[in-house]
Amino acid sequence: MSPLLQGVVMILIGLSGCIGYFYVSNFVLDKIIFPPKLDDQGRNINRANLVRPWLFLLPALLLLSLYLIYPVVGSFYRSLFNRANTEFVGLANYGALWNDSGFRTALYNNFLWVLVVPAASTFMGLLVAQLTDKLSWGNVAKSLIFMPMAISFVGASLIWRFVYAVDPNIGIINALRDTVGLSPMDPLQLPFWNNFFLMVILVWIQTGFAMVILSAALRGIPEDTIEAAVIDGAKPRQIFFRIKVPQIKGTIMVVWTTITITVLKVFDIVYAMTGGNFKTEILPSYMMDYMFRDDGRATAVAFVIMILVLPVMIWNISNARKEMR
Amino acid sequence: MDNIAGSKSSLSLVTHVTVTALVILWLIPTVGLLVSSFRDREQIAVSGWWNAAFSIEEATRYQPAAEGVTERDGLFVLTGSVFEDDPSTVSAFGIAGRAPDAAQPGQTYGRLKLDVVQEDGSIKTKNFETAWPVDATPVAPETFEDRPVQGFTIDRALSITRDGDFTWMSAKDITRAPSIYFISPKPPSFGLDNYQTILTSDNMDRAFINTFTVTIPATIIPILVAAFAAYALAWMEFPGRTWLVALIVGLLVVPLQLAFVPLLKLHNQIGIGQSFVGIWLAHSAFGLPLAVYLLRNYMTGLPRDIIESAKVDGATDFLVFTKIVLPLSFPALASFAIFQFLWTWNDLLVAKVFLPKTSEAWVMTVKIADDLLGSRGGDWGILASAAFISIAVPLIVFFSLQRFLVRGLLAGSVK
Amino acid sequence: MKQQFLASAAVLAATTGAVSADDHLKFAPGEGVFNWSSYETFADTYDFSGEELVVFGPWTGPDGELFSSILHYFETATGATINYSGSDSFEQDIVISARAGSAPNVAVFPQPGLAADMASQGLLSPLPEGTTEWLVDNYGAGASWAALGTYAGADGSDAQYAFPYKADLKSLVWYSESAFDEAGYDIPETMEELKELTQQIVDDGGTPWCIGLGSGAATGWPATDWVEDMMLRTQSADVYDAWVSNELKFDDPKVVEAIEEFGWFATNDDFVDGGAQAVSTTDFRDSPTGIFAIPPKCYMHRQASFIPSFFPEDNDGAFFYFPAYEGKDLGKPVLGGGTMFAITKPSDVADAFIAFLETPIAHEVWMAQSGFLTPHKGANPETYASDALRGMGEILTGADTFRFDASDLMPGEIGAGAFWTGMVDYTTGTSAADVGAAIQKRWDGLN
Repeated sequence: MSPLLQGVVMILIGLSGCIGYFYVSNFVLDKIIFPPKLDDQGRNINRANLVRPWLFLLPALLLLSLYLIYPVVGSFYRSLFNRANTEFVGLANYGALWNDSGFRTALYNNFLWVLVVPAASTFMGLLVAQLTDKLSWGNVAKSLIFMPMAISFVGASLIWRFVYAVDPNIGIINALRDTVGLSPMDPLQLPFWNNFFLMVILVWIQTGFAMVILSAALRGIPEDTIEAAVIDGAKPRQIFFRIKVPQIKGTIMVVWTTITITVLKVFDIVYAMTGGNFKTEILPSYMMDYMFRDDGRATAVAFVIMILVLPVMIWNISNARKEMR
Repeated sequence: MDNIAGSKSSLSLVTHVTVTALVILWLIPTVGLLVSSFRDREQIAVSGWWNAAFSIEEATRYQPAAEGVTERDGLFVLTGSVFEDDPSTVSAFGIAGRAPDAAQPGQTYGRLKLDVVQEDGSIKTKNFETAWPVDATPVAPETFEDRPVQGFTIDRALSITRDGDFTWMSAKDITRAPSIYFISPKPPSFGLDNYQTILTSDNMDRAFINTFTVTIPATIIPILVAAFAAYALAWMEFPGRTWLVALIVGLLVVPLQLAFVPLLKLHNQIGIGQSFVGIWLAHSAFGLPLAVYLLRNYMTGLPRDIIESAKVDGATDFLVFTKIVLPLSFPALASFAIFQFLWTWNDLLVAKVFLPKTSEAWVMTVKIADDLLGSRGGDWGILASAAFISIAVPLIVFFSLQRFLVRGLLAGSVK
Repeated sequence: MKQQFLASAAVLAATTGAVSADDHLKFAPGEGVFNWSSYETFADTYDFSGEELVVFGPWTGPDGELFSSILHYFETATGATINYSGSDSFEQDIVISARAGSAPNVAVFPQPGLAADMASQGLLSPLPEGTTEWLVDNYGAGASWAALGTYAGADGSDAQYAFPYKADLKSLVWYSESAFDEAGYDIPETMEELKELTQQIVDDGGTPWCIGLGSGAATGWPATDWVEDMMLRTQSADVYDAWVSNELKFDDPKVVEAIEEFGWFATNDDFVDGGAQAVSTTDFRDSPTGIFAIPPKCYMHRQASFIPSFFPEDNDGAFFYFPAYEGKDLGKPVLGGGTMFAITKPSDVADAFIAFLETPIAHEVWMAQSGFLTPHKGANPETYASDALRGMGEILTGADTFRFDASDLMPGEIGAGAFWTGMVDYTTGTSAADVGAAIQKRWDGLN
């Protein structure tokens, strides 16, 4: 069977399987197990409603636990063992991390990344989403800004090679310096600031993501609230900050969270641009240095990364609580 | 009224200018890649893409065959043109690679052998390079390294006209091809060679189909599964709901590399092995946390009264979900679809682990990385055009799904 | 040279294609100076019609095609089907598939260090008995080649786990013949002369060296080859071996001296194209093009035998042996590398494939194409496609001391990690002693 046909069949099976599962399971629940019969109608509906959320969640939870939770638990267990996976060492891998100056550099750099990239990308994304909202050529502009999102990381690192290269014949920054008479320098070797030159790449990519989500959210704001404000004589800036931003606060938070998490996962940029040299290492690239060599150490780094997400998780939990009230 | 209209148009001018500036800023790097995708590796290495449209003055070494040598005034002479087929202009020339611009067309440039009188009266021969007019004879300096020069002979000399006709003269017989260096403008060269290399390589059509076979189910399955889960997390009451939301956020950060070995092992045990089914499941699961997270967030923002009034009317959750929530969530579904499509489309890592290692199962990214770029990768031209080929389909998807991201849908269904 | 060869190969193919039934074979059996009898004997011994062998290796693109052309001979001889696939990220992919139980039958390791790691985890099967003896007898400097593929297994006992096939020569300096001719430079015979030449080029107003360490995530590796070559030129081979096994610590003055010998070339702004700052970020693939620029950006480039594939078209590149100090009396040491074939999933066909690699024909067919050197004494040097390859083959077999790339032998975190980044730190200003100490600290942390 050709893969194309296989694909079509799979799509059909997958789709009808999913829809069938949800339909049939709900049907069984409502009509067979807890039929809302006359005598215990209310009780049965309540019982059915207790079970139903889990019917909705079951496929997702199955996939998640098999493909993500199980490896995570296994990895945590692995991080308690030594390099060769022969000896239980407790938290020694974590201790070894803390004593490694390379790890501390990566941690520090990662904090910079987490502070800068989500803020910058979300801000730029919101700016573009708002500005292009009513623009006649807004869709074209959005597509162009979205484009970096569609370029693979390998392509992206090649693109930025043409920006940062030392040779003024190749790198555009040094070409500009050359025209004003400055000698060439290597942006990626500039201590401290080289981190920011690398962050620019991720901001360049992630702005498209923020823009798409925020643009959808902006358009989801009911017209009437804005019309009312316009009639009240509100200035565009006031409308934006007082009416629009509060209404899409939740979405801004989601975008921020998602980009923060992306920052904690993306190793490709640092890997391809500097290989972690010149003090630009971040945790994901540090982890990749050990991955499949010293898995005890690599999995320990993975858990440090997960611990870093805790504040973001807590923030999201408290927000979820608020929404439910 | 005038006032409002006036401020509106000035504001929109500012908007136009700002957006234009942003777009240009965002585009500069990509344009660099686009331009580079039409150039070959060697050109990319020597000149910036912003210079690609201009001809550059390039030094060339030309080695004419030592045929048709004649003798004139005691020198062996070889003549010809440095432009064998396509005429161009010479702006400078020289007889050594370290100085290809030593003389101008119309001059003769050569190496003289000076007879230099040493302090003890003996004579030593020293090399001296100089230029002189074509129809004149060279003039030797009076002194060389502070010693008087007694006389000289021409060792070798070269003259080139602007049209590229050269005359090479040598004191010794010319048996080996001499090296002539000259500078001429090299016209910009663009070509579709890189694209052709990629698109016409063996099995590229197969890889293209394979990529679609991977991406389409891997986009649709997680959306469906996630939409139900997101609805439950957004609109259904049950214990542990907030913890599940937190868990989903936590799972967003799991590095995929952790999952490869246990999952492939699992696939091997249950008989899926390395196959399309395996990669569909893997991509679906890996995309699921973000899908649930994004969709749940969107669904909680839907107007409460619509859903509650439907429930009061006796609609079950299943009906509320399929008839009201799902249509209302189209913008969110569409935006997630775009991203999931992008990731699976550009993915190399998951494809390498979960698909068979045969060329029949290669997706485009694997094909380009492992087959076209070669062992040590370095062909920037191929890389650039590959990036643009792989960008095309996601952009089409973006354009076609963009119309679902509009306000009208929501507004329409609320009324 | 390459074009010439391709042309002659095309002629060969055209003339033999009609005669031979196996027209997918690059060179028809029975013709040319190849050792066809070894092929026929092999073909008579084994018959695996209908069986399959899965081979996984690091060679992709053109290199992958070259390797496939060798595999066709095995297929034709035995009737088995070989399913070869190459990956740019071989090191990661092989670990994943071996651990997950999707291992190929035969894996081709570019680094002995990784093969040793996998052997210790029980992921490799020992090669057929007698392989060690065969290597000792039939390879030049055979004992050291055999040792390169001998590792401790999961049970801790040593066995021959990998078969070296395809060698690389690293101690080479590349230059442009016309640039050297016009400037009147002679090929240096000793390290002292090489240093004099370096200074002379500067005095003449030129830049002697192009050095580029850039290689994405692997940035820094070209410098490890420099340091290893310098180690062999300042210390005896025993010291080198002690360094590889970390009996000699990385911060030992002897190692620091070797690093500083490299620094003599690389950290002097006058000696390197672009200045010392450019060394760490210039891509190693772009770096050699400087010797062919007009006017030359540099005159010399030290790199392994694979580098001509990154030269521009129509170049006049040539090489000379990276010389040794005349004053140190350490002979003519040569640094090299090799790919290791190991069995990751045993089968009769896999064993036969290792036996195939022992036949001279398996070497000659690749020698007659490009980019292949062999220490196999039974392979006919006349089959080398060019004088240049033959010249390298002679350096390889004629070495007084032959040592393998140390970074490939060290544990992955060092040889493909800390050593790389340490070299980048060194070229950007950290002292050699500090770099050595940092790498040693990382090594200490491994156990």
